[in-house]
Amino acid sequence: MTAISNLLAFFALVITLLLVWRRSWRGRLRLFIAQSALLALLTAAVGALAGKRELIVVALVFLVLKAWIIPRVLARMAAGTPARPGAAPGQSSGVPLLVAGALVVAAYVIILPVTASATLPTAGAIPLAFAMALIGLFVCVTGRDVLGHVLGFLVFENGIFGLAVLATYGLPGLVEAGVFLDVLVIVLLMEGVVMQIRREHDSLALDRLRELRE
Amino acid sequence: MSLLVLLLAPLVGAGLSAYAPARAAGLLHTGTLGTLIAAALAVLAGVAREGTVTALDGLLRADALGAWMVGLIVLVALLAGVEAASGHGGEGAAAPRRFYPLFHLFVFTMLLAVTTDDLGLMWVAVEGTTLASVFLVNFHRTRASLEAAYKYLLICSVGIALAFIGTVLVYFADVQQFGAEAHALRWTTLLRWAPQLPPRVVELAFVFLLVGYGTKAGLAPMHTWLPDAHSEAPAPISALMSGVLLAVGIYAIVRFKAVVDLAAGPAFSARLLVLLGLASITVAAAFLWSPTNVKRMLAYSSVEHLGLVALGLGFGGAWGVAGALLHIANHALAKSTLFLLSGRIREAFGTVELASLRGLIATLPLTGRGFALALLALLGVPPFGLFVSEVMILGAGFHAGWWLAPALALALLLVAFGGMLRALHGMAYGPAAPPLEEPTWRGAAPIAVGLGLLLLTGLAWPPGLGAALARAAAVLGG
Repeated sequence: MTAISNLLAFFALVITLLLVWRRSWRGRLRLFIAQSALLALLTAAVGALAGKRELIVVALVFLVLKAWIIPRVLARMAAGTPARPGAAPGQSSGVPLLVAGALVVAAYVIILPVTASATLPTAGAIPLAFAMALIGLFVCVTGRDVLGHVLGFLVFENGIFGLAVLATYGLPGLVEAGVFLDVLVIVLLMEGVVMQIRREHDSLALDRLRELRE
Repeated sequence: MSLLVLLLAPLVGAGLSAYAPARAAGLLHTGTLGTLIAAALAVLAGVAREGTVTALDGLLRADALGAWMVGLIVLVALLAGVEAASGHGGEGAAAPRRFYPLFHLFVFTMLLAVTTDDLGLMWVAVEGTTLASVFLVNFHRTRASLEAAYKYLLICSVGIALAFIGTVLVYFADVQQFGAEAHALRWTTLLRWAPQLPPRVVELAFVFLLVGYGTKAGLAPMHTWLPDAHSEAPAPISALMSGVLLAVGIYAIVRFKAVVDLAAGPAFSARLLVLLGLASITVAAAFLWSPTNVKRMLAYSSVEHLGLVALGLGFGGAWGVAGALLHIANHALAKSTLFLLSGRIREAFGTVELASLRGLIATLPLTGRGFALALLALLGVPPFGLFVSEVMILGAGFHAGWWLAPALALALLLVAFGGMLRALHGMAYGPAAPPLEEPTWRGAAPIAVGLGLLLLTGLAWPPGLGAALARAAAVLGG
């Protein structure tokens, strides 16, 4: 159990780091799908080994939602933007990757009170999931366009989901269902807003959004 | 039963008005509001009689604090609902199928957030408030409102996700200590177990919860979405967002504060709340010294007042907590009245930029005078209620031995006072257009209700208010 959860969480974290490194939108979307699939596998594995059947259901819903429905919506949102935007000057992957690495260390430090008092066999992987969440947050706030924001937010969400599975074997079913519904609605609303932004501004770059400044 | 009706009324109203023909929409809206008021009164009466009202095996639960919030939400929803349905530029009257479903859904999510005992469901409901109101912020479909809606959705979703980390950590602490139990996320269960929870984990959780729900509550430095969303939304929605949605964020924080205080001692949460409160008042005062736009001025003033509420909760004690709860109510009344009137001003003048607003009182005698009085009330001028609650909050601070924080807050309040008074003077007088005709009873009703209640909380507490306040504060151990 410990070995499997550690291994899967580790792979998911590596994918998250690759996502920070990749510049092309399609590549990042594929990495997001891979990360979601790995987390679904992790959830199913924890459910099977800990004898919690409802976690397997959660894993299935998660897989359908995050690895199929949401990526389709994201692909729809991105349709029409250049698939491989030329890297602007000063935009290398080196610095973000370095920050992401530092965030992994920070995750271990911040989450220390939790790992210190955790008794579940999955406890060792908690910081890895937390690191995923922090890196997702970082991708979200440094996103240069609307798509970057949305993708970062979803990676952030995935990390929190992993954290909940590893630290508590998942939240009560009602809450879990509500969270899934919320994430789906957020993405659909984002699509609605993004479509309007594109109609208004012919672009998703953030420097076009400058209407509201003091 | 009354709780179920309270939640079902806006939900069913939202569902029906999405499909009802436009002619029936107004009637449906009135019917929904009427049912809502009746159910809210039944809940308040039940809580006054028995202390708590529960439904669905305790999943829904209103105690004195919940009832306080229910009363506020329904009151502001009523004011906003009446204004939205008015023929003069009322958003509901103009586009019923686009406005009413989201309006009632928005009210439903806020009511669910304050009447559920399950902190996980509360999280879902608070997130739901954002989702229901995004397209209301973008109701006018301008470039600015679109940008405001985008910022609102993104920043609040990220914030609320941080609160989810906090919720997971609280659940973790709970399950670690007591094993998986169906009701482990219920607030009543948590409160019972809180003294045995690992303090460091609960503290960490509270930091995430404070930042997360603090984003929804508009506390600085997480307030950046607020001025945009509140100023771009249609007036009735601004009234709901500023008047009660921010208070729902604060409500979520205080529920967890009660838990962390038992687990880790009250000093931890107090310091954080005072810090965020001062930051909010500072940011707001810096803007309010020279505001440029009426609705943005009102929005920043919300940051200021929610900062004051955070201060009151941080100072603690009977006066601090009761003062904070009273301040939430006073602010909701004054601010929603002002936002509703700002909608009429925009309708009459075509703008809410301060530079082009002159002669308000002469042009719109009723709205203009109401706006001036409500703004004075908001600034904390006696005899209105905000004066009383501000004295309670700052007094609690001095009493608890925090000297610097209340003194600093007082100085910053004076800065905001000066700036907003100057803005009011600029817009109220000056060269005027010929007076416009105003709706009579419909125009006067929200002003009369808002200002009348503010006079009551300021001058003579009606019987029961003091007791209700004390009981709501007692829920939090204040």
